[in-house]
Amino acid sequence: MKRLWVIFSKEVTDNLRDKRSITSALITPLITPLFLVALIIVMGQTLFADPEEQVVRLPVRGAENAPGLITFLKQNNVQIVDAPADPESAARTGDVDLVLVIEDGYGKAFEAGEPAPVQLIADSSRQSAIRSISYIEQLLRQYANTIAVLRLQARGVNPQVISPLSVANVDVATPQSQALIFLNMMPFLMLMVIFTGAMYVIIDTTAGERERGSLEPLLINPATRAEFALGKLLASLPFGIVTLIMTMATYYLAFNVFPLEEFVNIPMRLDLGALVAIFLLSLPIVLLASALQLLVASFTRSFKEAQTYLGFLPLVAGFPSAFLAFLPVKASTGMMLIPTFGQAILINQMMRGEPVLATNLWISSAATLVLAVVVIGLSIWLYRREQILFGR
Amino acid sequence: MIEVSHLRKTFGKVIAVDDVSFRAENGQITGLLGPNGAGKTTTLRVLYTIMKPDSGAATVDGYDVLRSPLEVQRRMGVLPDAHGLYPRLTARENIRYYGRLHGMGGAALEDKIDYLVKILEMDDSSDRRTEGFSSGQTMKVAIARALVHDPANVLLDEPTNGLDVMSTRSMRTFIRRLRDEGKCVLFSSHIMQEVSALCDHIVVINRGLVAASGSAESLKRETGQENLEDAFVAAIGSEEGLQR
Repeated sequence: MKRLWVIFSKEVTDNLRDKRSITSALITPLITPLFLVALIIVMGQTLFADPEEQVVRLPVRGAENAPGLITFLKQNNVQIVDAPADPESAARTGDVDLVLVIEDGYGKAFEAGEPAPVQLIADSSRQSAIRSISYIEQLLRQYANTIAVLRLQARGVNPQVISPLSVANVDVATPQSQALIFLNMMPFLMLMVIFTGAMYVIIDTTAGERERGSLEPLLINPATRAEFALGKLLASLPFGIVTLIMTMATYYLAFNVFPLEEFVNIPMRLDLGALVAIFLLSLPIVLLASALQLLVASFTRSFKEAQTYLGFLPLVAGFPSAFLAFLPVKASTGMMLIPTFGQAILINQMMRGEPVLATNLWISSAATLVLAVVVIGLSIWLYRREQILFGR
Repeated sequence: MIEVSHLRKTFGKVIAVDDVSFRAENGQITGLLGPNGAGKTTTLRVLYTIMKPDSGAATVDGYDVLRSPLEVQRRMGVLPDAHGLYPRLTARENIRYYGRLHGMGGAALEDKIDYLVKILEMDDSSDRRTEGFSSGQTMKVAIARALVHDPANVLLDEPTNGLDVMSTRSMRTFIRRLRDEGKCVLFSSHIMQEVSALCDHIVVINRGLVAASGSAESLKRETGQENLEDAFVAAIGSEEGLQR
């Protein structure tokens, strides 16, 4: 027990003096919340901005041909501006989102009661233009419909003949649930943080020790291999936990102090209670992450090799929760048995403000801890083999 | 005292140590002499409990390396071929870590570190981080941490490898000093001159077998050669061990 403390305290002291370990523990927490906030601001402004409340700029050529249509558009918050000389290339290069071309034959055809030709020139593969395009298309359909109804009435026909279906869209999404599309990414980002926080400490104490040639003399000291493996594992935990705390603090600042609402018009809150719960729920994952990293690093011969392999670990472990960001599922006990996946579901529930089953919290934490203990056992077994000197 | 009997160690199809037996007495310097790849390092690794023999036995002060590895480790100070330091720790901190792993602490440990810093003449560098230490400075720290618990048996694997002339000379002086303190010193080398200059007892190893053993004088007598170099060549049956 005392030797465990000796190994632990030496590794912590040593790594506190290591720029790489400190940087990865202190900088990582800043990255994912900033990423999430940037994503919310950028995507939120283009996706959630309501065009009916915004003035849409519409370059029009031949506006004089269709004064009725132009008046209708102006009434619907559309600002009519002059079209560029070459509308097609302007739309292609993205100088304008779209251009409405009212052809010279418009007035004649309109008066004759024939389809009056207009062209909507746009690049539908341009993500940022989609909102404007669909809004203008919708206005054009509305206008055409209004005219059709008037014409039918003038001919004494019930306008309902052209409306065989009455479709009503009922969207139950609340602004918060739309915002959750982004927050759903949080479990995945948390995993990334957890797997990065203590990574350099683990690499330094395992593959780094081997690369420096200090592993062989170390193992001749009278301590059991279990003590060496556990001491190194334990030394990584403070770094992982500090990283996690810093991350939660950054999330708190990003969502509660930073005026996020001003950018996205959606109330976004992550209250302290939820953040503390997410932190506690993540603690078993910190242990599991360090254990997995210790196991994988035991096979590697150099710092670089360890860095490469450990870089893959969060991607593998985060795979299920990455899917969860886009395909939310309902929680079941079976899912709680899958380490990291269970926590991802629970974190999503907490952020959505849904009730979380206490049993699910325990099952998910216990399953993660059991796997961590198994992985630690494997690492100790690896440390007992003589191949530990060389890697592989 | 170290005793090795009929040690055998293989790695897959490669026989690193075939059948090695010898005794290293207290108050004597015993040298394992042999060409590169003869099995010296593997023999030492079995002795310092890092590797398990396929068959045969090895004991240190009567403790079996397989059955009581921790007892063996407590009675042994080892300078392995790989003896990297922790570059972000000072020389003293490197030594202190090993002392604490041996259960030492407090004033006793600090006094011992002071003593080692003094006799190894490393005063000026002892409070510096070891990053950028020369191979001579590194070697001194590695020896100090190996001896911090005052072991009765000292194992040195090629201790003068990579050292300049001055460092090699002070290393030899230090090894003799350990012998004079009554310790059992076992060291390996592929350099014949070094072994002949230092050792009371020489064990010549070649291809995993003991080719000859005894004092320098008795080796010359057994092989009927005038000097040790010829005796060495006669013992291992080739000149490959002389290449440096």
